Amino acid sequence: MTADRIKKGEYAQIEGLEPSEFAVYLMEMGFMPGKRIRMLHQAPLAGPIAFKLENSIIALRKSEARAIRVFLEH
Amino acid sequence: MLEVTAPVKTTAFTVALIGNPNVGKTTIFNRLTGLRQKVGNYAGVTVDKRSGKVQYIPEKVTLVDLPGTYSIHPNTENEIIVHRVLNGLDKQSKPDYVLAILDMSNLERGLFLVTQVMDLGLPMAVILNMEDTAKSQGFVVKTHQLYKALGVPLIETNARSDKGMEQIEGLISQQLFETPKPFLARDEFNPPTQREEIQQRYEKIREILEHSVEQKDLKTKALTDRLDKIFLHKTWGYLFFLSILLLIFQAIYAWSTVPMDLIDGFFAALSGWVYQLLPPGVLTDLITEGIIPGIGGILIFIPQIALLFGFLAILEDSGYMSRVVFLMDRLMRPFGLNGKSMVPLISSVACAIPGIMAARNIGNWKDRITTIMVAPLMSCSARLPVYVILIGLAVPDENLGPFNLQAIALLGMYLLGVVAVLLVSLAFKWILKTTEKSYLMLEMPLYRLPRLKDILIAMYSKSRTFVLAAGKIILAISVVLWVLASYGPPSRLEAAINNLEAPDANAGPEEIAAYESLVASAELESSYIGIMGKFIEPVIKPLGYDWKIGIALITSFAAREVFVSTIATLYSVGADVEDELTIKQKLDQEINPVTGEKVFNIPTSFSLIVFYAFAMQCMSTLAIVYRETNGWKWPLIQTAYMTALAYVSAWAVFQLLS
Repeated sequence: MTADRIKKGEYAQIEGLEPSEFAVYLMEMGFMPGKRIRMLHQAPLAGPIAFKLENSIIALRKSEARAIRVFLEH
Repeated sequence: MLEVTAPVKTTAFTVALIGNPNVGKTTIFNRLTGLRQKVGNYAGVTVDKRSGKVQYIPEKVTLVDLPGTYSIHPNTENEIIVHRVLNGLDKQSKPDYVLAILDMSNLERGLFLVTQVMDLGLPMAVILNMEDTAKSQGFVVKTHQLYKALGVPLIETNARSDKGMEQIEGLISQQLFETPKPFLARDEFNPPTQREEIQQRYEKIREILEHSVEQKDLKTKALTDRLDKIFLHKTWGYLFFLSILLLIFQAIYAWSTVPMDLIDGFFAALSGWVYQLLPPGVLTDLITEGIIPGIGGILIFIPQIALLFGFLAILEDSGYMSRVVFLMDRLMRPFGLNGKSMVPLISSVACAIPGIMAARNIGNWKDRITTIMVAPLMSCSARLPVYVILIGLAVPDENLGPFNLQAIALLGMYLLGVVAVLLVSLAFKWILKTTEKSYLMLEMPLYRLPRLKDILIAMYSKSRTFVLAAGKIILAISVVLWVLASYGPPSRLEAAINNLEAPDANAGPEEIAAYESLVASAELESSYIGIMGKFIEPVIKPLGYDWKIGIALITSFAAREVFVSTIATLYSVGADVEDELTIKQKLDQEINPVTGEKVFNIPTSFSLIVFYAFAMQCMSTLAIVYRETNGWKWPLIQTAYMTALAYVSAWAVFQLLS
């Protein structure tokens, strides 16, 4: 699945990045395979999603989050 | 390990500050330079270029604050700047040394940027900032291990409490920078793709960090998490944002009135004083009626601009602004705007000038241009005096239930501005073409208490930029307007004055004052600008305006509020031009000699209100748009579309109502 489908409060591990124009930016910001992310908040009407990555909070639009492939942690 | 020490410079040298966004770069820059800083533009783009001389160091050291980026790979406008400066493509700003700043609690991502700089082979040093946050989150950094791995000097600091600032000053003044070995070995024959390079770089950084950083789990629930539960809440978040907005506007209006009145009074007094001092003549008139009021007209905006920038700096420095972007992004996107357009649009309710300046934070070209184009449609404070007078003429002072009709009309004008912003943005969304994809990718920093000193520096430097940039152009146009309003063909002027009946020798002061205001009115009527007013009369007649209103439209091109004083002079209300009630009563009595109806009847008044809501009547805004977009193209497009919008809407309103 992709990161836009993680539910609030859930943790997931990044599997890889879909080839897209966002991939390089996302990697530079630290969305690297193997990293653990947590979904913190989503703005109303399918707005941006805030993720906890390492020690920072990064908000991505849904289209950007869709470029991140993840495994859900249980 | 091979250590290369950079040769010590004996002449002036430049140090570039580089780092991720929100690592305290600006705080360090402010600590080191104080008020000795300049804000300018990089050639060709509008990214702030901040540079300053370092305090307490006698040598000539220039510090350049590069924009915060995650990478120096040139993709975004900010990254292009950093790339150009560090590679010496921007000749004047090639730094001698690089000071890279890391957030100690976010080393991995910070080192990604730092190791890219290492590959460039510039002498550098690394600052580990935000030591307090890192400690409170359980990070332990073995500085010596990290130093061995990177091979450049490291300093631990906490810029907000001034910790480590002396070491940075010492490092700079003794030029203890070192040239690192390239971090990633270059394979010239088979260069990796950008993705591969990112991967390799992160792998190598992780290896280093495994040996040099430990994190103990302190199990603390961060303040940021708790605050975000409220500030990003689907209901409370928006309510809180709305209350903050109301609070800011309230404060700006309440606090800026007194200084604005003082500035106004000061320049009026200065004009009077200079008038007394200098011998009468054309030059004195130009100074007292053209130049001094022109400068005053610029400086009067300073209290609002400084306050607004102060509040914006508080929102920015506290970390709240990125939450606003988060909340509003989805709501703005259907209109071709961006969450980051919120700050410029909000600011524009006070004044479009700081609003347009704030659009710099929008990284995406199309979103930024759209925001700049629509910002002046927000109802700014200069429209207020015009609205007050015209609504007073057109809307009865009666109550509808608990609400005053005039107050509702005024509120309606603010809403009209917002609606216009959204609709025009929509139009630009279809018209503007770009290959650049709109993206958000916004880091939301931890909440922090803003520092008073940083806020004062922001207020000072932004106001200064405004005065210097907009000032020159406003001054020039004010002088031109003054000349046009003060001179006319002499024969015409003489004829106009001769037509007036001069008061006899024993006339009282009131009669003389009345005569003088009639003369002033006649002079304006036969001046070049009066002729222009008559000339454009056929064009504005369908909107319900006569040539006198035409003059007001022309003179208030300088600034909207000039409408009030022009109308006051034209209808010779007398000396007390500030008294809005008197003007209103006079306008109400004005009768059109041809039709015998009131000039300011309801259709004309509403038509004028709508015209002023949409027309680009502010030289200062034009000057700023020119500066921010590096050319006349966008200010001209803006003027053209706003004039067209104003004309068509005013025409429609007039035709509908009459």
